Amino acid sequence: MLLVAALALGACGSDDEGSGGSGSGSSGESASKEPIKVGSLFSVTGPPAVVGEKMRKGLELAIDEINAEGGVAGRKLELVFYDPAADTNKAIDQTRRLISRDKVDVVVGGGSQSGIALAMQPLLARAGILFMATEGAREIVQPVEERKTTFKATFNDTVVLQRMAEYLSEQGVKSLGFLPDTSGFGESAKAELEKVAPEAGLKVSTQSFDPTATDLTPQLTKLRRGKPGAYVAWTTTPAGTTFLKNARRLGIDGPLGLGIGSADPAFYEQAGAAGKGALLAAGKLPVYDLLPDDDPAKEVITKFVEAYQDKYGEPANIFASQAYDGMKLVAKALEATGGDTDAEKLAEALESLDTYRGVNGEFNYTAEDHSGLGTSDVAIAAWDGKRFVPADGAGE
Amino acid sequence: MTDLLQLTFSGLTTGAAYALVALAFAIVFRGTRAINFAQGEYVMVAGVSAGALHAWLDLPLAVVVAVVIVVGALCGVLTELVCVRFVRRDDPHTVTLATIGLGVAIKAVALILTDRKAYTLPGFSGDTTLHLGGAAVDAQALWNCLLVVLAAGGLAVFLRAVPLGVALRASADDAEMAAASGFSRRAAAAWSFGIAGALAAAAGAGLAAVSPVNYDFGTLLGLKGFAAAMLGGLGSMPGAVVGGFAIGLLEAWFSGYVSSAYADIVAFAVLLVVLFSRPTGIFAAVRVERV
Repeated sequence: MLLVAALALGACGSDDEGSGGSGSGSSGESASKEPIKVGSLFSVTGPPAVVGEKMRKGLELAIDEINAEGGVAGRKLELVFYDPAADTNKAIDQTRRLISRDKVDVVVGGGSQSGIALAMQPLLARAGILFMATEGAREIVQPVEERKTTFKATFNDTVVLQRMAEYLSEQGVKSLGFLPDTSGFGESAKAELEKVAPEAGLKVSTQSFDPTATDLTPQLTKLRRGKPGAYVAWTTTPAGTTFLKNARRLGIDGPLGLGIGSADPAFYEQAGAAGKGALLAAGKLPVYDLLPDDDPAKEVITKFVEAYQDKYGEPANIFASQAYDGMKLVAKALEATGGDTDAEKLAEALESLDTYRGVNGEFNYTAEDHSGLGTSDVAIAAWDGKRFVPADGAGE
Repeated sequence: MTDLLQLTFSGLTTGAAYALVALAFAIVFRGTRAINFAQGEYVMVAGVSAGALHAWLDLPLAVVVAVVIVVGALCGVLTELVCVRFVRRDDPHTVTLATIGLGVAIKAVALILTDRKAYTLPGFSGDTTLHLGGAAVDAQALWNCLLVVLAAGGLAVFLRAVPLGVALRASADDAEMAAASGFSRRAAAAWSFGIAGALAAAAGAGLAAVSPVNYDFGTLLGLKGFAAAMLGGLGSMPGAVVGGFAIGLLEAWFSGYVSSAYADIVAFAVLLVVLFSRPTGIFAAVRVERV
């Protein structure tokens, strides 16, 4: 019965439950073989191409694994993919196409850019399609009362900043010089840190910089007057490297750190000697193999990293894991509803799932929190000159 | 006091790059009356290729710098080919517009080829920090200032003492006359773009040694270099150098004493003030033409 209802709902897209609720079940047998259509948008070309490509691969890996195990509730997953190339207008057209022409059942992936995910969200909500975003911005799922059928499989910058503030505070740091860039990524972190730092007993002074800056000496010079105990820069660009070099050159010898936008060894390698010992606040993926064996994250991440390496012959990264987790979570929810793709039922299923151990951490969706990840999944790592190593002991 | 000195050195470091870019704007403007808005992208191409050459082939630094200066010059000649010859209308406005398009294209190609990766070079004299009057200075900052001096001095000699340079100057003064004497406008344009490319490449190599660079960092730099060229007086060589360092210093002081988040408006505020009050810039080298 449920399967028939699900199929009818899937086919009718935004129609209400009535249309499929009274299915006779005569076509139940063949209907159960119909695949569940997963719509997805990632920018595999355009500026976020590197991110988008990894996300698509992560998503495809998840779908392959699920289908290899027989699919969800007896139905295979079928991917319908478009590349918006970082163009929000294009993404809106493609989202409409997913809804009305392809009649997808769920959507995983919001174009690899928060702006695109934000634009897709109302369209999918209105069409009654569950949306699992793999982009970062908090606003994709907040305020949650207006985003009942929208979830995301990524860290809120809030929890990353929170963990970092706690860590520094544990290290005896009382005041922090914070350097966010002036992009949306940096601006959001700036606003969030102002909220979470006082709880950790950290005094923050902030100096912003342009994402393409080649010299952060003025910002550091200004911050240095307040003698902060540590400095952290928040950006996705190579300015993170410049920050490390400039700070050490100025003779700053306290802890230096970068945020989740800099979780790439290249940023640290290129800083040379200045990169050594610098901190990274991000997920556990960069240090997964050094986690203690009793850390439940270790097994999950190892499995993912190896499967990804096998399939694509290249190392996985955090972006691939976000899409992978997103798909697995949706599959769990579909399993729980017995294949019913009604967005509200899936949302309820996600909110009532037992803690799900994904690559990025433990997802605990609730009616109030559609991000799911908490501070315990954030690892503070340090660059030892060759690789990231856990800086916060157990990695918990 | 130490802070002021520190900020001043910071301003000179970025100012050196603006000065080289402004010089490149000047030389193209003199040779073609066009403004080459692809200029910033040359800096990016040079910076990225310098870093990539160093990373992949492990060539000595001097060779890398020499190679990218040649690459930059080729970029310049290519620009002339695309924007002047293929467009087939060598009026300066068309050429200027064509360079904007070319700049976008160069950036897109760089994005694809580099996969968004950033590249960097070691400092020309290693990772050396000098302590001057209580301020910590990257030795590379001095190298970059030296590059400006060498470039400006070299250009001055070239334009006065070398026959080709004299011909370029003649063409800038009166293209018809120069063409009648055997130095065509096309030749002048090709040489101007080529030299501009080489200058931008020097800036790119110098910058890559200060900070890692990726496909994205040329555009804003080009616009700031343009503001510097306008401040000094478009077409003036001394003006370009003064304008470049002035913008660099103003930016650094503004971020150090006022607001770092809005430091980027400095260059453009200066540009607006110049355009409103003294459109010919400080060193009015060029006759104002109503267009």
